[in-house]
Amino acid sequence: MASASEAHADDHGHGAENARETFRGITHDVTKVNLTPIGRWWYPAFGISLLLLGMLVVAVTHLFRTGIGIWGNNNIQGWAWDITNFVFWVGIGHAGTLISAVLYLFRQDWRTSINRSAEAMTIFAVACAGIFPILHTGRPWFAWWMIPHPNDMGMWPQFRSPLMWDVFAISTYATTSILFWYMGMVPDLATLRDKSKDKVRQVVYGLLSLGWRGSARQWHRYERAYLILAALSTPLVLSVHSVVSFDFATSQNPGWHTTILPPYFVAGAIFSGFAMVMTLMLPLRHVLGLKHIITQDHIHAMCKVTVATGTIVGGAYAIELFTAWYSGNLYEWFTFRNRILGPYAWAYFIMVSCNVIAPQFFWVKKFRSNLVFVWILCAFINVGMWFERFVIIVSSLARQALPGAWGYFEPTKWDFMTLAGSFGLFGTLFLLFVRFAPVVAMAEVKAVSPAAHAGKDDH
Amino acid sequence: MSSLNNSESPDVTPAAAAPATPTHGYWTSLDELAPKAAAPEAAGEPVVDPLNRRNFMQLMGASMALAGVAGAGCKRYDREEIVPLSRRPEDMVPGVTQQFASAFEMGGVTNAVLITSYEGRPIKVDGNPEHPFAGGGVVAGTTRHAGSSVFAQGSILHLYDPERSQGVQQGGKGSTFADWQKQAGLMGLDPNWNGVRILAEASSSPTIAELRRRLQSQYPGATWYEWEPVSFDNERAGLRQAFGKPMRALAHLDRAEIIVSLDCDLFTEHPASAAYSRDFARSRKPDGGSLGPGKMNRLYAVESVYTHAGVVADHRLPLRSEHVLPFLQAIDAALGGGGGGGGEVVKEAKVDKFLKALIGDLQAARGAAVLVAGRKQPAAVHALVAKLNGQLGGALVSYYDDPEPTRLDHADGIAAVVRDLKANQVETLFILGGNPVYDAPADLDFAAALGQAKASVHLSEYVNETSAKTTWHVPKAHYLECWGDARTWDGTWTLQQPLILPLYGGVSTIEFVAQLLGETKSAEQLVREGVEAAGGQWRASVHDGYVAGSTWSPAQAAVGALPPVAFTGTPTSAGGNGTFEVTFSPSSTTWDGRFANNSWLQETPDFLTKVTWDNVALLAKDTADALHVHSQDMIRITVGDKKLEVAALVMPGQARGSVAVFLGGGRTKAGSVGNKGGEWKGGGWNTYALRTTAGLDIAVGAKVEKTGGTYIIATTQDHWDIRQGHALADEPITGVGDKGTRERMDRIVKETDLATYQGASYLAQQEEPYFHDHKHHRGYSTFEEHQYTGRKWAMAIDLGSCTGCNACMVACQSENNVPVVGKREVQRNREMHWIRIDRYFKGDVADPEVVSQPVACQHCENAPCEQVCPVGATLHSSEGLNEMVYNRCVGTRYCLNNCPYRVRRFNFLDFHKDLKDARNKVRRLLFNAEVTVRERGVMEKCTYCVQRIQSAKINAKNAHNRGPLPDGTITTACQAACPTEAIVFGDLSDPESRVSKLHGDRRQYELLSDLNDKPRTRFLARVRNPNPALATDAGAHGDH
Repeated sequence: MASASEAHADDHGHGAENARETFRGITHDVTKVNLTPIGRWWYPAFGISLLLLGMLVVAVTHLFRTGIGIWGNNNIQGWAWDITNFVFWVGIGHAGTLISAVLYLFRQDWRTSINRSAEAMTIFAVACAGIFPILHTGRPWFAWWMIPHPNDMGMWPQFRSPLMWDVFAISTYATTSILFWYMGMVPDLATLRDKSKDKVRQVVYGLLSLGWRGSARQWHRYERAYLILAALSTPLVLSVHSVVSFDFATSQNPGWHTTILPPYFVAGAIFSGFAMVMTLMLPLRHVLGLKHIITQDHIHAMCKVTVATGTIVGGAYAIELFTAWYSGNLYEWFTFRNRILGPYAWAYFIMVSCNVIAPQFFWVKKFRSNLVFVWILCAFINVGMWFERFVIIVSSLARQALPGAWGYFEPTKWDFMTLAGSFGLFGTLFLLFVRFAPVVAMAEVKAVSPAAHAGKDDH
Repeated sequence: MSSLNNSESPDVTPAAAAPATPTHGYWTSLDELAPKAAAPEAAGEPVVDPLNRRNFMQLMGASMALAGVAGAGCKRYDREEIVPLSRRPEDMVPGVTQQFASAFEMGGVTNAVLITSYEGRPIKVDGNPEHPFAGGGVVAGTTRHAGSSVFAQGSILHLYDPERSQGVQQGGKGSTFADWQKQAGLMGLDPNWNGVRILAEASSSPTIAELRRRLQSQYPGATWYEWEPVSFDNERAGLRQAFGKPMRALAHLDRAEIIVSLDCDLFTEHPASAAYSRDFARSRKPDGGSLGPGKMNRLYAVESVYTHAGVVADHRLPLRSEHVLPFLQAIDAALGGGGGGGGEVVKEAKVDKFLKALIGDLQAARGAAVLVAGRKQPAAVHALVAKLNGQLGGALVSYYDDPEPTRLDHADGIAAVVRDLKANQVETLFILGGNPVYDAPADLDFAAALGQAKASVHLSEYVNETSAKTTWHVPKAHYLECWGDARTWDGTWTLQQPLILPLYGGVSTIEFVAQLLGETKSAEQLVREGVEAAGGQWRASVHDGYVAGSTWSPAQAAVGALPPVAFTGTPTSAGGNGTFEVTFSPSSTTWDGRFANNSWLQETPDFLTKVTWDNVALLAKDTADALHVHSQDMIRITVGDKKLEVAALVMPGQARGSVAVFLGGGRTKAGSVGNKGGEWKGGGWNTYALRTTAGLDIAVGAKVEKTGGTYIIATTQDHWDIRQGHALADEPITGVGDKGTRERMDRIVKETDLATYQGASYLAQQEEPYFHDHKHHRGYSTFEEHQYTGRKWAMAIDLGSCTGCNACMVACQSENNVPVVGKREVQRNREMHWIRIDRYFKGDVADPEVVSQPVACQHCENAPCEQVCPVGATLHSSEGLNEMVYNRCVGTRYCLNNCPYRVRRFNFLDFHKDLKDARNKVRRLLFNAEVTVRERGVMEKCTYCVQRIQSAKINAKNAHNRGPLPDGTITTACQAACPTEAIVFGDLSDPESRVSKLHGDRRQYELLSDLNDKPRTRFLARVRNPNPALATDAGAHGDH
């Protein structure tokens, strides 16, 4: 609340000097994270992340040497945690694009304080997601066959397969997100270059800032490019997770074969993405001392998006259930009954509690203001969204049409290590980002800060 | 298929053929084989084979050196030398398989088989359709066909088992044949062989019988006993009672309208099971098979534990095995035989109703009804069955004189040996085959008695429990390595032709006994002389696999007066603990334990419990409830002073108060596959520990208690269709899975009864309710569908004939190089069988109906797997096959997920990893060279045996026949193995083919037709023939 009132106080400040002070303050607060020794919290956090990453390396090495059999997947459930993790991470990656692109186009200025880290989160989440399609193949050394390439045998991928569409959707998304993120970072990297005292930083940031001088022409081109990229990215928000959902929707498995999946997946992805942003931002703004930049208002806004998308997700669950019953399709209706009452009922109830019930607290301002509580709920939502994918994938596959071929998936320690390891990969990348890149889009924050508008009045 | 080759060349006599040591790897022709196989020990040194011990050591050394040089990460193929033959042996074309007739004998029961050999390596066993007993005749809708069994199919795996005995052993240490011969000569046998005892496993071989006669006349002091833990000697004893002399019975099920199976596994355990399976299926065709139009047989099964007969029965009554006698006496009384009449046992309302209906049917169908009693049933039951069959007309049973009327029954044989041993009358005991230390009745304590003999010699394929206790062990040759002969149940003299030199230098029983007798002739000569002395044509007999005209003529026999037998067993009212009966049945996979080291069979799920790798004890639901026992609980069974701890499984349809245990588990010296291991290895429990001479097949007064422990059982099908029967897949909240199964069963397994079927409007394939589309007809697809201009391969599976015997599964495994995965992986649902048999229960948990449904790839025309593969590794052929391109597969498993039949199998691990071990190199010889061995990470599934299709097409092309292939040219492995001809494969583009006709049958239906996948495999609905008097009891069709 303190930072909010500070920001409010700034509203009354007028004059260029005041604005310069504000801008300097922002620059200082953000760049100090990169340019001064970081707080002690960073080292244990990074250590744990590295440890988990190491676990991933071990798990993947063992996987490549031994085969998919180290996981619990079986001949009834060809996919299990591998694809659950994949969809989970892709979903996490959604908030980034939404915040950067869609909210930008809709001129939602509050996005500026969180868009950089949300974009970074997107890229790292997509990186985590991206490894699973490769890891989950039986012969990962041939996974490149899924990429169309000219060859003397004239072999092409099979374009009717949604997995092929996935390859394109995810790679497009990753490329666009990286461009967007990096391009947006250029002015701030230049700021870091200018503020750096030591040679190494000056050279590295200098190279990364691509010769940014901050001239009006550069700014003009930058703004145009940013707008174009935002426009290009916007459809991706809808397309990527829709395509991911096609993996399921276009199959003929009861529980997968439903037309509601694309919007339902997109809503779920935004939902989980915002929850993840908050999971990361709440502690970060605390430890990095950025409470006045990422304010309580921002948290209120994010909580509202979360409750909105969470409610959409809950509605989707209900519609899905209704459709299964209304369709009169024996197998479809059974699959949903089995989700709720069958051997995976526990997973279904975790999913519903975390995704539908938990976010309802965000209707109340008092709950949204209790940051510890918000953080816990967001953590629950992350768990719930992982379970949503688990329920869709694993519980549907467990009991398909022929009862003679029903099974039950049990994870192995390698499944756990791979999942935990993917968090290690994410954590490592994110902590490196926090340490070495501007976590807040300084230029943008400055542009939308009240001081900037105050300055404009002077012209 | 039927092009039998006879490589035995008449002008090559052993003297003429120079027994030159082969310079190349494998034997090339039987010319070379004959003299060598005949007298390997006479040559003074074991036969040089590609993998004898010395070569093996070199090989292993070289491999290790190579591994050291090559280092990790640098993969090189092993250096191999390929030396061409300097002259091509007759009939041998590289890459073209040959087939030879032979015989596989198991416990005195003979299967006439046809062995497929690929460049000198036998790789596949099938039934011999030309054999009169195995093949039978042809009736409408069938072709000449001989199925086989899981055991015949699996037997070939032992040939290449590196754990088979590889040399003579003395006192557990390696020795040589030369030493053995020297020692054997010096054993100081009495001139009359006083004190010599021979304990042989059962054999129907006329040559062994002849040698035995010679032995007994030459050495009157010696005595020859026979022991077989699983035999049909109870019938022998019963018929001895009935006819005054030991006889054997053969029922003609193809002419039977009413069949009553009394605790009898007609289709696997019975020595005539091959004929019974075929004949039963032929008289069960609702369109008129061997019984003529409009007639099909009706099968009643009365049994304590589910048998294959119970699976296909129209009416089944779970009844304690010991209660079969009073039940039968009640039938006898009703048919006018007087007698006890069954007493209390048949007073129970359910039994009474069943009995009355059965008697009504028997009376109505005199002359066309037959009863068959099982091997567990005591002699009195068999005697009474003979009498009743006589009363019912008698024309449906042929009786044959027992070939060895003076032989002691097996139980008496082993008891006599032990008596002699304990009386210190035995100087030398020769044990020919078998494993009595493991499988002798527990009360005899054979192992201890064996120590009383001064010397003991065990001829055995494996250094097993018995070999470990004898002073000498001599390796026995596999049946495909040596000459021999045998008789099928009807006496047909069947020849056992070797296909390969002994890989490990073993000798056959014939050679061993001949050597004891100082006989210098080879086994081949001995067999040949026997055949020729009986007037047989040697060359033709070897070619055909049997001696023409050798089938016995049925003997005329009349049932004499039977002594009255009073039922003294446990009364029905006594149901408490301590009054249970324990029944001993051979395992449906390891038999009496002899197949314990056979990984194919260990991993074959039991036909009903679907349990792999273990032999569990079965309890009825209410018995288990009373004892608070759940599936996977360890229980202790006590019979007298014998105790057994074993895992329990609650089994629907098990008789109340009857505990079924299965033989063949808990081996300790079977080999690395069969030895009892931990919970994740399986291996089962040694149930012989509970089996005594008094209760060899049925033990009474048993007590069952929980030990408190649990044991994980690996099954291939986790569900039970009975609410309270849920054993392995626990429903945490409600029986949603159970309910879901019930509501869909009538779509998955279609059944009807004969009356409905004969109504004109019957059609198994119904329009699917939610595919009524106003614009499009049923079967409309949004995809452009495949067009077929040529052949269209298809299959039809008759659910009415499938007994669930698993022969197709093992045949497929053998044909298609399907790997074994082990118990842990089975428990994780990773078994690799390309064809599985789903079994579903219906109705009451105490007395359900059951159906077996073989499911393999359905080869859908709109295959869902093909749409989703990102790399196009699974494709449609122009002939309608759904094909896998292993090379192209990256292993996303999407195809598996999208297959509604769940028939795709993924190589989760490198399941052939152990083949890299030098010891296991020999196992590679078994691979079917025409089928790719799949590596880890690729998907595989049924191919409709595409290699057989291609080979038939190539043959036709070579013969300039470009027209349609005649129907029946191609048989898939599962089809060839099916003993009931339930599987038919062929070309749909030929309207006259059998499969075309079956696809047009009123009984045909597509599995999951609502998905519009258009499977090329169609099922034929099962038609039951219930007795109207029991129809309401039978569980109300439609109550799923």
